[in-house]
Formats: sequence, C-alpha cells, structure tokens
Amino acid sequence: MSIELIAYTRNVEETSLLIHDVNIDSVICGHSMFSLRTLGDVDLDELIEIRKLTNQYNKKLYVSVNAIFHEDMLDELTSYINKLDALQVDAIIFGDPGVMSIVKEQHIKTKLFYHPETLATNYKTLRFWQDIGVDRVVLSNELSLDEIIEIQNNLAIPVEVQVQGMTCIFQSKRPLVSNYYQYTSMNKEEKNAYFIRQAKEDDTHYPIFEDVNGTHIMSTNDICMLKHLPQLFDNGICKIRVNGFLKSMDYNVEMAKCYREAINVYMEDSDIYASQVTQLMEKIEVLQPKHRKLDTGFYYKKQIY
Amino acid sequence: MQTELLAPAGNLEKLKFAIHYGADAVYIGGKQFGLRAKAGNFSYEDMVEGVNFANKYHAKVYVAANIIAHNDDLKGAEDFFRTLYEIGIHAVIIADPSLIQLCKKAAPNLEIHLSTQASITNWRAIQFWKDLGISRVVLAREVSVEEIKSIKAHVDIEIETFIHGAMCISYSGRCVLSNHMTERDANRGGCAQSCRWKYDLFEETNENESQIITDDAAFTMSSKDLSMVEHVPDLLNLGVESLKIEGRMKSIHYVATVVNVYRKIIDEYKQNPNNYILQQTWIDEIWKAAQRSLTTGFYYHTPSDKDQLFGKPERLPKYDFAGLVLDYDPQTKLATIEQRNYFKIGDDIEFFGPKMHLFKQTIKEIYSIDDEPLTEARHPMMKVKVKVDQPVNTYYMMRKRK
Ligand code: SF4
Repeated sequence: MSIELIAYTRNVEETSLLIHDVNIDSVICGHSMFSLRTLGDVDLDELIEIRKLTNQYNKKLYVSVNAIFHEDMLDELTSYINKLDALQVDAIIFGDPGVMSIVKEQHIKTKLFYHPETLATNYKTLRFWQDIGVDRVVLSNELSLDEIIEIQNNLAIPVEVQVQGMTCIFQSKRPLVSNYYQYTSMNKEEKNAYFIRQAKEDDTHYPIFEDVNGTHIMSTNDICMLKHLPQLFDNGICKIRVNGFLKSMDYNVEMAKCYREAINVYMEDSDIYASQVTQLMEKIEVLQPKHRKLDTGFYYKKQIY
Repeated sequence: MQTELLAPAGNLEKLKFAIHYGADAVYIGGKQFGLRAKAGNFSYEDMVEGVNFANKYHAKVYVAANIIAHNDDLKGAEDFFRTLYEIGIHAVIIADPSLIQLCKKAAPNLEIHLSTQASITNWRAIQFWKDLGISRVVLAREVSVEEIKSIKAHVDIEIETFIHGAMCISYSGRCVLSNHMTERDANRGGCAQSCRWKYDLFEETNENESQIITDDAAFTMSSKDLSMVEHVPDLLNLGVESLKIEGRMKSIHYVATVVNVYRKIIDEYKQNPNNYILQQTWIDEIWKAAQRSLTTGFYYHTPSDKDQLFGKPERLPKYDFAGLVLDYDPQTKLATIEQRNYFKIGDDIEFFGPKMHLFKQTIKEIYSIDDEPLTEARHPMMKVKVKVDQPVNTYYMMRKRK
C-alpha cells in the first residue's frame, strides 16, 4: 500500500515549497477558465515550469479541468486538453462528461481522474466511470467513512478523498454577490473576500466568491481528519488531499507538512499514532484561523432525506 | 417530432388534470428513487391507472428516478425499473449512471432521459450520453436560447428544456447547502430550500476583521420563478422536442392553469406561425397561478438582481381555487361544484376549462345537492350547485380573487 499525499499549488514557488518542505507526492493546479476552485490561476507558461520541477523530483502533476462547460468554451477546452496531453501531465481531472468525449475523439493518452464534486456518491456509478477508462475517482465530500470504504472495496481503481480544508457546498452560474450589490446600489470592489452568515447562527462563516464559473459557497468549517487517518489507511483509502483553498501559501504548506509527518508516524509505527498526533494537532490549532472551526465533515455524520 | 408539452403530476388527480388541460406527457414520481420525497408519489397501482388514462388520450407518462444515489439506495432498483416497463411507463428520467445501468439491465427497452440534475450544458456532454444510448437530455437551466441552437446544430438527440416553474439557484445537483445546514441530503430529495433563507453578507477587511454589508436588506439567493410564456416561439423554432413545466408539489389549479396557457400558445403558433400574436389574457392567466415573480432565467442573459427575490416580495394577483366542476346540467344551467375555498352569493368569480375557455360571472344562485337554496358554500369538499352563465364541463375550475 502506498499512501499518496496531494495538495493544490498556485505557482512554481508553492510547488517548490511543497516538494522541498513537505515532500509532497502530487500537486494539483488549474485555471479558473477550465477548473473549479483551484488555488490560483496557473497559465500555460507557469504550468510548463511546474511540470519541469515536478519531473525533476519525480512528483506527480495533475491538472484540474473540472468546470461545467458551456458551448462557447468547447473549442478552447479541446485545445487546452491537447496542450496538457503534450505537456505529459500525469492526469487530467474532469467532471463534465463533455471532456470524456473530447478525450476520445482526440486520442488523448493522459490519465483521467473523475471529480464531479457532488456526483461521486456510490460504487456502481464510479464503476461505470472506471469501466469507460477513468483511472481514479475523487469522491464527493458528503459521504460517510463507511460509504467511502464500501466504494473503494468495490472498485479496482483508487478513490481519492479530501482530508483537510474547506469544501464547496454550492455553485451557481449567477453572480450572486454582484447581484446583491446591484440591488442595494452599492459598489463592489473587485478583489474583496466575502462570507455569509446564516441569520441567527452567529458562529457560521461560509466563504462566498465569484469567478467566471459563477458563485461558489464554501463550508463553514474546515475538515481535519488528521487524528483519524489510520481509519482511512487501514481500510485502503490511500489517496488523500489537503485543500488550502482561500488560505495563504504558508498555511497550505505548513498544513501539508503536518499531514506528511502524520503519514510518517503511521508508516513507522501505527500503534503509537494516537499518542504522536496530539502534538501535530496542537500545531494545526495554531495554524488554523480563529474564525474557521475544524470538524470531520461527513465522515462520521448521518444524513437524512 | 412534434414539440411535446410536458407537465408535472404529483398524484393521479393531477395527472388527469394535466392531460385534460392539454399536456402531451406527464412526469411522476414513484415511491423510490425520486427527488420529491414529499410529493404524493405513485404506487404501482396508481401508475397502472395513470398509464391507462394517459394512453386513452395518447399522452405519455414518465417516471422521475433522479436521485444521486448512495451505495445503499440502489437496492430494489432493478425490480423497480422492470415493473415500470411492465406497467407501460414510457420513459424514466435518471441522473445517476448507476441507475441508468440498472435500468438498462432490468428493462433494456425502457427509454431513458437524462435528468437536469446531471447539469448538462454542452453538446459534447450530450454526445457522450447519446453514445451510451440515452434518447433524450433535459438541459441544465443555465443553458441559453443561443446555446440550445448550437447544441441542436451539433448533436441529434431529443432536447427537453424547462419553460416554467421554480428553480434551484444553483446548478442542479451542485448544491449541498441543505446537507451542510440541516443534514438533509438535497440530492436525495431532502432539500430544505436553504438558498431561500436569509443571510448576512460580510466583507473581509483583513485576516481577523470583517464588516457587515447587509445592514438594511438581507442577503438571499432566491430566484424568481421561470416563465417563458412570452417567448415560447423561440424554443419551438429551434425544434426543441419537449417543453417542461416544473411543479410536482403544486396544486391542480396550478397545473391546469399553466398547462392550459402553454397548450394554447403552442397550438396557436403551430397553426399559424406568421400571424401569431401573444395575447395579454395568456400572460394574465399565468400570473394567476404564480407564487413568485417571474423571470426568463438564463434564456436571454445571465440573471441579474432583477431576476432574484430581494427585499419585499412583489404583490401578485392572488387567486383562490374556489371549486371544481363535477357535473353540468345544460337544462337547468346548474353546475355541480365541489367546494375548495369559501364562496357565497354575490362573489365575482371566474370559470375556466381546457382550451382556454374562460369567463367571469357573479354568483347569483347556489343550491344544495337536494336543491335547497343556499347563500354560501361553507365547507371544504361540500358539493353544491351553482347557476352558471356559460356551459361548463367536468374538469372546469372556479377561481376567486382574494
Ligand atoms: S437549497 Fe436551493 S439551490 Fe440548493 S438544492 Fe435546495 S432549492 Fe436548490
């Protein structure tokens, strides 16, 4: 079993830090024209540099292309996919099945990871994607640990899960914050960060932001599965992703470092894991912004419907 | 293929009304796998009756099985689809590939339509599903008229698109607000409509400080409801195969009113596209069933603040569904009416029936079933006779302005 630690990167500098300080296994980057919620917009020139760097240190580079595409983007998307293929990135991460039909038509050889956010929720569906040639599936965040394990047990390809950071809980094509400013006749500054709070729920903090893909709302808490990693690893869930979205480069790297150390502890002696991670948890508490609470997402939650 | 008018049917009664008022097809939910956990939903017996009824009128019945399933939800899916096929259901509406596959296996000849929950927005994605044997896709509500044109030019498949009703403000299937705020899974029918709640919006000034933006008016994400009543020809001209009305949870009054108008529009336009004139009465009718203000969504532009519900709701014409016509006696000009809301002598009311037959009158005479004169109809579901100015028929409805 080989554990893979994956982090997002926004540029060459961050990639370099992730490689040298964290010994990261894989990095993900993307551009908002083609991807949802990447750390920053990585253009092709920068991507080439990141590819060089990751190759040099034998690290994997995945490029996220998981936007929901509308008609006007299809030509650009096709040429982008070809460029990624030529660049020999290690995988293209997609969510829109349109990408799949382009990949087939263009005889793209790059591996494909399926990451449709909310739609990767059961093994039969994911087996469907496996059977048509997907190499990995990135699971929805609204799944319990038991469901995740059952999915992995029923697939030949690996599943990837997010173990750290905020998750997207809503995407609209509408510019919802701008519309609100329009309605109230206020001026919206281009670069400001926003969050919404549920009325009468004072401790909620849902980041909300707009880009070319529309409006996105992120979870009120950050997932932190550090304490529980052995439950994942013991059950064969080995592709774990930390997500530094809307956080600084420093935070992203330091957080990834904590997870690297935790993995090291687990690999050395999993029996002492519980006692050893206490220190790492303390480190995380310091790193964590005060207004962002940590929880375990849906790993131990039961949903009704 | 003729453009189909597709209406929601939350139960058997609504199915019959939808078809009587001119729907070419209806979509319903079964007891499992559908997103409207709270709608009446159809047992297999109801489905048999619904299909028999629909067949008599050459209408079709589709079943929505459009949840995004988790591992444990898949049990019984094959039996479910097999039974639907045996009952004679004409198609199923599915979003999740697991259910698509189980359906294909259990009922290879049952037509599959890809649900709007899959958020299909481009022809490449449609091509992908077409190659897998999907016969129709329901487009995402974010697709514009221009984009439909482009899709139509690139791929030959049946296109279904929403023309009327409430909308998610998110991409369908891409919202788990409800999961996070209430632990109810939106993609399995548990949505708590969290988008329509009130929020405060803050601007982050720096790391630890923020400033409230919503001092006066709350931030909310509620969309106005979709209505293409003024633009149906744009979609007919593109050759869209199915025009869909949302609302399995809505009343028979809503279903009858909305179906009636769109049926009329489609027929008028088809008959004489060159001399088609949009009638104000059609628009007025639509507003009588409206529960929110209306918008054309993404069809012509990206929705602005005017397409959302901010602040105080607009005043809408409010109508009560006052009674349902069960029978009519041309001799006495008395209609037997089942009361649905209070009415009395002197009330100004209107009757309407299929084919947009519409008239107003004042109630002058009410009788009990035993022909005793009455002054009012007090009790819900009581049957009374009302003297009517024009002939009516079963399935006619009586409404009253609030
Ligand atoms: S909360 Fe609103 S946008 Fe989200 S699923 Fe429910 S109705 Fe749709």
